[in-house]
Amino acid sequence: MLALDVRHLNKSYQNFGLENVSFQLEKGYIMGFIGANGAGKTTTIKSILNMIRPDSGEVHIFGKNIAEHEIELKQDIGYAFGDIDFYTRSKMKTLTDVIKKFYTHWDDETYYNYLRRFKLDENKKIIDLSTGMRVKYNLALALSHGAKLLILDEPTSGLDPVARDDLLDIFQELVMDGEISIFFSTHITSDLEKCADFITFIENGKIIQSAEKEEFMESYRLLNGSETQLSQVREKLIAYKVNSFGFTGLIHARDFDSSSDIKATTPSLEEIMIYFAKREDMYV
Amino acid sequence: MYNLVIKDLKLGVNPMFFVFPFLIGALMLVPGWIYFIVPLYFCWITIPNMFSGYRTQNDLIFTTMMPVTRKDMVKARLFVIVLLELMHIVIAMIYGMITLRIYPNVNYYFFAPHMGFWGLCFVMLAIFNVIFIPMFYKTAYKHGPAAWGAITATMVFAGIAQWLGIQNDFVSDVFNGSGADNNVLQASILIVGIVIFIAFNVVAYKMALKRFRQVEIK
Repeated sequence: MLALDVRHLNKSYQNFGLENVSFQLEKGYIMGFIGANGAGKTTTIKSILNMIRPDSGEVHIFGKNIAEHEIELKQDIGYAFGDIDFYTRSKMKTLTDVIKKFYTHWDDETYYNYLRRFKLDENKKIIDLSTGMRVKYNLALALSHGAKLLILDEPTSGLDPVARDDLLDIFQELVMDGEISIFFSTHITSDLEKCADFITFIENGKIIQSAEKEEFMESYRLLNGSETQLSQVREKLIAYKVNSFGFTGLIHARDFDSSSDIKATTPSLEEIMIYFAKREDMYV
Repeated sequence: MYNLVIKDLKLGVNPMFFVFPFLIGALMLVPGWIYFIVPLYFCWITIPNMFSGYRTQNDLIFTTMMPVTRKDMVKARLFVIVLLELMHIVIAMIYGMITLRIYPNVNYYFFAPHMGFWGLCFVMLAIFNVIFIPMFYKTAYKHGPAAWGAITATMVFAGIAQWLGIQNDFVSDVFNGSGADNNVLQASILIVGIVIFIAFNVVAYKMALKRFRQVEIK
């Protein structure tokens, strides 16, 4: 079953727009949503949550259209926005008491279990929590109302490596029994190498690719060669950089002749992102 | 909607704004003052502070993420505003009754705090709401221009009403002269004021909701 099914989203703004954004997330998996700053990650997430109205296209969550079943579906969605905080001067306890009233499946026992597990003291004010603690608090809230789909916008940005690693472990644990699905956007690609099952890559409002992680990375090759070798492949490269030793460039695996003597490796997600961004610059 | 009202009362509105009606209302004890100013303090202070509080705390996104309809969001917010307005007026009315008893021989240049005057206050707040609420929900974010527009209209109404109360013999007679002792007349003005207040709030709600449905939450 699909936890999240985004179909042909289009949304145009004056200087930017989403173009035919489509991807699917199977229930019980983690999908990483990567793209540079301003690539359209937050706009896509806000369209998923029906906060902005797409010009065309549909978003289905657990098979239901969010535009028609918003209230019902929001009971099953948990969220965390890494860079937006709410009512920071209130105590966690006060905030939780208000929030829990909105959810029909709220379970206090689960909530206190997660507070203990995440080492959160509910008498603390939100402002006194570290960034990692705030994300954990949001997760505790989401899981206590029985959210089946977690939509997280940059949950790991601003976290130190230890806190990030800790959070990624939690994500993996959550999806283990196949009930919970996680969709999270980030520009810290190493997080995804560690825990994502699927990758969706957005660049300048368009989905470049949405695939299983290994397949995604295997579909590109990072080439290293001399300047003379560059001329053999230049036309097929997505983008390249020239330095005193020769060039490095990214190419679609299908466009690369493996019998060639150019040194080829599987790129990291970060390298893929960088070369795609570079391609944009080259054509501007 | 009930949960949203509770959310505003527990998180959104500073408790000070519930104490305010008691403090500001005490200005009714100043004999012969321009009593229109008393409910105006709500428009000048409470509304701008309340709404900048909502904005600072990202209330709009916070609320939108929860399973609530936009209809309930507007309804609950209007309910909280009306609740505070009623607190301001009712408490000021009580202070007004005390004033009428402790200073029986004051010569009122401005409106005396009889029932009819409170009818005018209801109309004044009705004008404030019908301008502020729909203007605010055009963006659900910019409360400044909405407050300016609404406060200006409210003060123009109060200014004209008070000017007529001084310059026009008929109006002066109805509110401060022989009409002041006519309970039926006074109660009728109050009731008309309340009816206008209700009607304008219904209009404000409908216009605000229509606009808010088009708002993109960024």
